[in-house]
Amino acid sequence: MAELLLEVGIALTAVALAGALANRVGLSVIPAYIVVGILIGPNPPQSILGMSLTLVADGEFIQVLAELGIVFLLFFLGLEFSVDQLLRDRGRISAAGGVDFAINFGLGAAIGLAFGWTVLETLFLAGVVYISSSAVITKSLIEEGWIANAESGPILGTLVFEDILIAVYLAILAAVASGGDLESAAVSVGTAFVFLGAITAVAWYGTDWLDRFFRAGSDELFLLRVVGVTTLVAGAALALGVSEAVAAFFLGTGISQTSHVERIEHIVAPARDIFAAVFFFSIGLSTDVTLLSGVAALLAVAVVVTTVGKFVSGTLSGRFYDLDRRRSLRVGLGLVPRGEFSLVIATLAAGIGTGRLATVLPAFTVGYVLVMSVLGSVLIQQADTITDALAPSSG
Amino acid sequence: MTVYETDVPGVGKKFEVEIDSEERLVILLHHDGKREVFHKADPDADAERLFSLSGQLARKVGAILQGAYFQPVETDEVEVPLGEAIIEWLDVGEGAALVDQTLAEAAIRQQTGASVIAIQRDSETLPNPGPEETVAAGDILVTMGTREELESLEALVESSDA
Repeated sequence: MAELLLEVGIALTAVALAGALANRVGLSVIPAYIVVGILIGPNPPQSILGMSLTLVADGEFIQVLAELGIVFLLFFLGLEFSVDQLLRDRGRISAAGGVDFAINFGLGAAIGLAFGWTVLETLFLAGVVYISSSAVITKSLIEEGWIANAESGPILGTLVFEDILIAVYLAILAAVASGGDLESAAVSVGTAFVFLGAITAVAWYGTDWLDRFFRAGSDELFLLRVVGVTTLVAGAALALGVSEAVAAFFLGTGISQTSHVERIEHIVAPARDIFAAVFFFSIGLSTDVTLLSGVAALLAVAVVVTTVGKFVSGTLSGRFYDLDRRRSLRVGLGLVPRGEFSLVIATLAAGIGTGRLATVLPAFTVGYVLVMSVLGSVLIQQADTITDALAPSSG
Repeated sequence: MTVYETDVPGVGKKFEVEIDSEERLVILLHHDGKREVFHKADPDADAERLFSLSGQLARKVGAILQGAYFQPVETDEVEVPLGEAIIEWLDVGEGAALVDQTLAEAAIRQQTGASVIAIQRDSETLPNPGPEETVAAGDILVTMGTREELESLEALVESSDA
């Protein structure tokens, strides 16, 4: 017991230090959590100057916490998912989101096929490079003050579009990848839709009931109820072969109809933050950096192509929102960071896939997210320099 | 004045307020209660962050802007909040029960619970008046106590013909 507790203590302290360091230099914390996981995890580098660096094993306890990280990331995604906003702005959001999907998912698919990956592997790869990071982007928007500017419209609209698409995508991919032949795949897809349909029905038609159910006097009981039910639903989904992340997303959208949203944001968000930090850390733990050399060429191509892809699609999206040239370019720069959802997709691939999905894709995704989250944050910070160079007339 | 309201997923709510035809204030309400206020010189300008406030502080500042927090100074009733107790300036009316009594005779603390901490007479202020001090019509008593205590004291300083 002492050993396990010490390990978890080392892990959390390392995450805390890495986060503080990233904050100090003004970069996203996500790559910092991953890097510290790589450094003190069981994979190489295992020592520096003869001192062992294998401080934390990729143990079951950490994995459970990391799994909760995925569940709560998606639960909050659902919770904050604004149906009203989507409907109010559906024309522009679907135009921006559609262009974003066509260009970036398309480029991802092209890269996968060009490198000789199978169709299923390519679908995973395309998902990884398609989805922007809500966490990194939203944080950058706030820090740069863009949140108050017009460019936040198309950026957030695109993120909302991506969020729904990724929920559907994960549901289908989880079902297809876990079933071997066509028939069992169809059964898995069917199970997924029945289960998710049930959650959705309870959530949408049982709003009053949910509202009463989550009504608790003390914050402690409220927290326990939300964490308990969410974990239970996610666990039940996983037991049935349905993506736990997607189940959590649907539960979140259901609860977003109740009057408890604000309280959840206050009381449950810290729990999400700690689980999510462990999730990023555990990605680092399970990463074998020596595998990265094998995907270096793919990584280089993907970084260049998909950065340009997001830049172009974002700039076009800005045009749908009638923004001027400079702001449109900012939308393009703003959408470059990739992060948590790419890693969720890679985790799904590692969990159910074999061959390339089990080893190459996760290693690629870690490298890709490290580069793109840092590159994306820097591009946003340097946006003025870049837009001045590209659109000198409109200062 | 037009106010544009937008949900900001993962952050909170954003309000954009037109303060004249060009200028705008953008107020961001974070889910954790924090408020950030930005200024835009015109709708196309880049937002400039003015300040940010915690939820509790923002409510106080909001009340001040509303004019609800501040009580304008009027000689007949001025309140200064002081925890539970407040300080109030009370005019002693013509023929009030207190007139021509010394503070010792009036036994204000025993009767009402409130204390007289100063007496303002014409342009003079008598701080910390002694028990022998006599109250006159037209004095202003600076008093301290809870709201209820001051209410019962008020009854003693009202004009008898009021």
